[in-house]
Amino acid sequence: MSEEKTSGVGRRGVLKFAVTAIVAGVVAGVGGYFAGSAAVPPPKTVTETVTKTLAAETVTVTAPPKTVTTTVTVTATPTPPPITPPPGKTEVVIGVIAPIAVRQGKVQENAARLAIEEINAKGGILGLPVRLAVGDTKIKPDEAVAELRRLVTVEKADMLTGGFSSGVMLAMMEPMAELKVPFYADASSPIHPKKVNEEYDKYKYWFRITQNNGATFAWDMADLLDMLKAKGFDVSKIYIIRDEHIWVDAVEAFFNPELEKRGITVVKNVKIPRGYTEYEPLLLEAHDMGVEVVLPILAIAGTGDILVKHWAGLKLPILLAGHDLAALDLGFYEKTEGAAEGYVFIADGGVVITIPPTDMCAKFIENYTKKYGYPPEAHQGFGAYDAVYLYKMVVEEAAKAGVANPFDPDVVVEWTEKLCTYPKFVTLTRNLSFYPKGHELKFDHDLVWGDEYVRNWISQWQDGKQYVIHGKIKNAEFKLPPWFK
Amino acid sequence: MMIDFEVFIRILIYGATISGIWALIASGFTLIFGVSRILNFAHGAFFILGAYFGIMFIHSLGLDPYTSTMIGMAMVGLLAIAAYKGIMSPVREHEVMVIIVTLALALFLEQLVLIIFGEHGISFPSMIGGVSFIFGVPISNVRLLTLLIAITALFLLGFFIDKTRLGREITAASQDAEAATLTGMNIEKLFTITIFISAILAALGGSLFAQIYAVNPFLTLKALIFAFAIVILGGLGSVRGSIVAAFIVGYILTIVIILFGARWAELVAILIIIAILVLKPTGLFGVKE
Repeated sequence: MSEEKTSGVGRRGVLKFAVTAIVAGVVAGVGGYFAGSAAVPPPKTVTETVTKTLAAETVTVTAPPKTVTTTVTVTATPTPPPITPPPGKTEVVIGVIAPIAVRQGKVQENAARLAIEEINAKGGILGLPVRLAVGDTKIKPDEAVAELRRLVTVEKADMLTGGFSSGVMLAMMEPMAELKVPFYADASSPIHPKKVNEEYDKYKYWFRITQNNGATFAWDMADLLDMLKAKGFDVSKIYIIRDEHIWVDAVEAFFNPELEKRGITVVKNVKIPRGYTEYEPLLLEAHDMGVEVVLPILAIAGTGDILVKHWAGLKLPILLAGHDLAALDLGFYEKTEGAAEGYVFIADGGVVITIPPTDMCAKFIENYTKKYGYPPEAHQGFGAYDAVYLYKMVVEEAAKAGVANPFDPDVVVEWTEKLCTYPKFVTLTRNLSFYPKGHELKFDHDLVWGDEYVRNWISQWQDGKQYVIHGKIKNAEFKLPPWFK
Repeated sequence: MMIDFEVFIRILIYGATISGIWALIASGFTLIFGVSRILNFAHGAFFILGAYFGIMFIHSLGLDPYTSTMIGMAMVGLLAIAAYKGIMSPVREHEVMVIIVTLALALFLEQLVLIIFGEHGISFPSMIGGVSFIFGVPISNVRLLTLLIAITALFLLGFFIDKTRLGREITAASQDAEAATLTGMNIEKLFTITIFISAILAALGGSLFAQIYAVNPFLTLKALIFAFAIVILGGLGSVRGSIVAAFIVGYILTIVIILFGARWAELVAILIIIAILVLKPTGLFGVKE
């Protein structure tokens, strides 16, 4: 006798019933989830266009590196008609190399594609059509290196943009140097510009275009503490919750002297591993120790959502303010069921979507939203978009100056430096300027940090939106969390 | 080292909460293994799906967290039955094949969730808000409720196994499936019921976990690894052992986090599990086959 007969309800019958019920439930659930009030609704379209006039002729950088007053000599005005391309060249290939399955990578592909479409619609680069080639790093150094080689040797990429993850970037710098391909890159570790500093001829093809050197978070966090003091929220003791990762060591090397200068004590510095979830005991301990601020320095942990949830749940009289990559996610507020209200965070990459720093940035957000249905889902998109336009500018400027092959990698490096080595800058979605060769802090080819250039804006989640609460483009005042009296 | 009273209360409650959640998932994992000898590597996927289904129903149908949790559990239970009938049962005699097909299912479900919901954590709306003060120590109400639900569910599981006819049949099948068949028990039906119970326990654990913390697709493997470690510590196939082991692991994690620092917690827990298994290779409540 078969088991099916024994059971009364045959395997096929049970299976059919279970599958039907699951399919019905999933279809109804997923359909409703995305049609209705989704847990993570597609980020709202930004319709407000902010027109900003950039600094006049004088730019002042008010924090390290040293205050500098200088003259701006380059602006992103429309480039003149293209000059003839070098003989035999029939197309320009832009390579995007990034982890395509995650939003930080996908946004780079999307942004580069948009820039290329816009450029092709206006005649390409020096009259040549521009083609996009995509390589997926999968956030694995070995795959990234293989993909980079493919992009350059098979796809014949003239330049690269992309990245994400400092370790992967470090691995990619080797084939980049070997193949001599200009790379306008992502990632934040100080180790990358240090390589340019120490072996310039080898690594000069690398420029960090997406965000500042991670060490600059220290200056932003120091500014954050000053801002709180100015608002009457004096801070004398902080409790740090940080990734157990080398990138934070670099930040702390810059941050600790800033704390010392301000007489602020770190009562405890807790290192947490990736995926850590149990924040309540830490918050309670911080409270016991009498701190005013719990300061996260997080990116790798990936559980900032749980941190704010526990913080908002306990309603302790402690401010949560620091660097947390998770808080940059446009869906962060919804995903935390509003627990992020009042969370002060450092927004990497120089753009907070409610206050685009340049006209081009506002236009980019608008066009990106039109094309993809949502605004750029991570700050890396601004870097990738800028990378394509910067490359076009560099090549065309070199061609205008009569350079025989403006696509030559050494020429691209030379002209990138000519156009936007500090204090010169070009205005794209942000004001881009790179630190020069031989920089005193070994920030060679890193984005210049500052209100007039690119900085990690001190921001806060308020009523479901991210606002900048300090600095030149501030568009909201700092607010204490709802339960503070 | 002197521990003050407040710290003791924190350890007591935080430890119990996380232990309760791990006990739910581990007891389900060991239950299905004990009865049918199926090492269900998709158990971690059932854990996260309980939360994702619940979140989905709250946002799409506007259900309250309690109802959506129950519907989510039922959905996961049905999915487990479908998986059992569709892919596990046909290869049940080959233990390695069972591992392979269930692992494949887990990875498939993880990728599906990743595509639909993204890689970032999503919170399950809390069943209850606010904070209670226990001997002056602030503890969030959702944590206390989670503890209550987990302990109730474990108590009901114990009652079902020990006191009901069906439960006793499942126990009999776990001790000797062939003998149980000879006495006229419908083994296939018992296996189906067991996989259903096992899955809904995981789903409940997932929903509770996502209320206190958050859920993301990568928890699939973490939950599986934790469940596996706990079950081995408790003795493969022993429900009681897995519950005790869950509390041991939960309290080790909590004590280490509170007293020594977060970075050491999982490392210490694993070292202690290894040490116990060296002394007692069959686990705390395991018996030699």
